[in-house]
Amino acid sequence: MGLFDKKKDKPKPKPDFGNVKSGGSSTAPARPPVAAPTAPARTYTVVKGDSLSKIAKREYGDANKWRAIYDANKDIIKDPDLIYPGQVLTIPRG
Amino acid sequence: MRRRAPAALVLILALLVSVGCRRQQQGEAESLAPAVSVSDIDLGRSLNPDRSIADNAASFKPSDTIYISVATEGSASSATLTAKWTYEDGQTVDQSTQTISPTGPARTEFHISKPDGWPVGKYTVQVMLNGALAGTKEFEVAP
Repeated sequence: MGLFDKKKDKPKPKPDFGNVKSGGSSTAPARPPVAAPTAPARTYTVVKGDSLSKIAKREYGDANKWRAIYDANKDIIKDPDLIYPGQVLTIPRG
Repeated sequence: MRRRAPAALVLILALLVSVGCRRQQQGEAESLAPAVSVSDIDLGRSLNPDRSIADNAASFKPSDTIYISVATEGSASSATLTAKWTYEDGQTVDQSTQTISPTGPARTEFHISKPDGWPVGKYTVQVMLNGALAGTKEFEVAP
């Protein structure tokens, strides 16, 4: 009782702001993201027995990606079923 | 008299050089001035379409979304605006940054909300432009 009944001041618990949601916008244009430097495309010289599927399998691990190689080399490949030894193909990044 | 004439001439030349240097320093100071500066900071509960505050306030309810609108002037290819919100004891409530490319006067807004309500107390929001303190606003949340 009396003096001994005084409640001790407990430290105020810190509030939890972990679930605060924030956002923003501006009338000024946002800074365009800096494009990541792209690695230069590699090249591959066709050897006897090659096909676009085989090259795709070797380069990407997926033969079905032959079209990416074909699309990148349409200037030198007229028919995707016909590639010739010595042709230098651009191998786009996978 | 003849001896005084050169002294006067030297004095005039010194004055001219001094004025010239001051003008050059002023020019340098102008060219070193930051391209973007914060001209105004407002707090409120809602925004206008131009990102200005629709209703200025310094006291909020626990359920309010709190908006701060930062007016900037000038242009820059890249400027970062940061809003750091703190609770009364200095506890960080939130900090977010926007990178803008202003081409003239612009308004950038930041807002915070808390689904379970803001603790009652006093808060501070600091606005930093490119990492340097540009202004501070204080507000309270009352029941």
